Amino acid sequence: MNAALTLWYKHMIKLRAHGEETFGMLLQPVLWVVLFGAGMRSMMEGMTSDNHVYIAFMVPGIVALSALSGGIGGGTVWLEERKNGIVKEYLVAPIPRLSILAGNALSTVTKSLMQAAVIFVVGVLMGAQVSGNPLGWMGGFVLTAAYGLGFSGIALAVASKTTSTGAYHMLIFLLNLPLLFFSNALYPLNTLPGWMKVGVRLNPTSYVVDGLRQMVVVDGAALAGGDTLPLWLCFAVVIGFAVAGMALALRAFNQSVR
Amino acid sequence: MSETAIEAQGLVKRYDGDILAVDGIDLSIPANTVYALLGPNGAGKTTTISMLTTLVQPTAGTAHILGLDVVRQADKVRRRIGVTFQETVLDDELTGRQVLDFHGRLYRQSKAERRAQIDELLRLVELEDAADRPAMTYSGGMKRRLELARGLMSTPDVLFLDEPTLGLDPQNRAKVWDYIRTLKDQRGLTLLMTTHYMEEAEHIADCVGIIDQGKIVIEGTPRELIDQMGADTIRMVGQGDCEGFVEAVRALLYVESVTVGECIIQIGVDSGNKRLAELVTLANDRRMVIEDISIAKPSLGDVFMKHTGRELRDT
Repeated sequence: MNAALTLWYKHMIKLRAHGEETFGMLLQPVLWVVLFGAGMRSMMEGMTSDNHVYIAFMVPGIVALSALSGGIGGGTVWLEERKNGIVKEYLVAPIPRLSILAGNALSTVTKSLMQAAVIFVVGVLMGAQVSGNPLGWMGGFVLTAAYGLGFSGIALAVASKTTSTGAYHMLIFLLNLPLLFFSNALYPLNTLPGWMKVGVRLNPTSYVVDGLRQMVVVDGAALAGGDTLPLWLCFAVVIGFAVAGMALALRAFNQSVR
Repeated sequence: MSETAIEAQGLVKRYDGDILAVDGIDLSIPANTVYALLGPNGAGKTTTISMLTTLVQPTAGTAHILGLDVVRQADKVRRRIGVTFQETVLDDELTGRQVLDFHGRLYRQSKAERRAQIDELLRLVELEDAADRPAMTYSGGMKRRLELARGLMSTPDVLFLDEPTLGLDPQNRAKVWDYIRTLKDQRGLTLLMTTHYMEEAEHIADCVGIIDQGKIVIEGTPRELIDQMGADTIRMVGQGDCEGFVEAVRALLYVESVTVGECIIQIGVDSGNKRLAELVTLANDRRMVIEDISIAKPSLGDVFMKHTGRELRDT
């Protein structure tokens, strides 16, 4: 754990040194909420009575989307460190291999949580009503972090399997798209055709989004059309996803350094 | 000190696709020694170091660092060694000081310990003035020196240096040589380095192992190896009946060694000046046309040629 925190610390030093990266990282989700949200809201206006409903519905989805983009970025950092050999400095140090991966994933999760905070602030400014219950926020924090860890693990696994930046991005986008669009992140479950509902239920993204909606958005369950998943299941699935993702990354990494 | 710092028995590394990178290497390096693995690119130097530093697992054979098994006790080995890699491996967005500090944190050094180490090492590698600049602004030689300091940050007992002076200008190379001698003499370190500069091996190594095609072909102190070659070496490059000439040369009493490679003939003799004329006459008799001839004190390069039949080019 000490080693993971040391790596995390290094990434944070680098993030602080790059004002433009921090700026871009925080601006990106703002643009999503403002542009996508405004567009969708005007489309939804005819369908619902309350203009602010879609923004509130969408905010948890954008959090998941940011966590996905963050994971891709973390994988890119890892691929770079593998390609330029910096990973060797970690490998000859007396630290567990899992902590090397965990350090990277922790940095990714930290950035995702910072983005999530910005998303909620912008969402509120655009009229979304959020919960005042601290327990709900803590639950949301855990869910977002666990989801970020899980997808970071997948990205790290892919980045451990290839040395080509092009191949990495190709593969990771193939995984990214269904995780995002085969979920309830951007559209309510009850409007989807039956075959899609099955896919949505199999996707961990649906569980983080659904859990967030229930815990931190006012009347989240109603916004989702009343078709919600049990909270305990949301936690179980997303934490399981985190464990599975990191295990996958560790396996791929161990295979790559034999 | 007679403790064995680095020991390997029958070390083999075979990569996927059946590439045999290291083909049964034995090493026994006493503590407080500078040992140089000398060989051309692709000889297996880096793979050998990678196995000894726990980066890759041997396909066969065993290796111990300070009595610790590099596979079964990898974590303990890692605590005792320092490594610099062949290519420059630096997070060059960090400053020199941050690079060292991060490395110390990985080894769980306390803040006070890190600060003391950093100050001392920056002084050793003469980077005090550049310490707070990002490493990306450093010259190649400065980066190399920073990496050397990083390798020393965890106060290792055994230091592995893979081509420590690759691509450095003569001035920086001499500095690195100085540091290596200092580390050995003042800190009692054991150093295993690889190089394909024979003058480097000759200069700083207590013991040299010549490695070619994954095997150590000969080992000894630079002096021992060179003395086997005779007092002087006459090198001839020619065309025509080389073989006949070599046969005749071997029969001469004053010839101590003959090495042949693609009509480059290297003859170790008791005295170069005295024997030159005789050898030229002999070559003429045997219808070998001499294109180039030189007399020199033998070097490790000649030793390399003797044992591998090829030249080790000083690139």
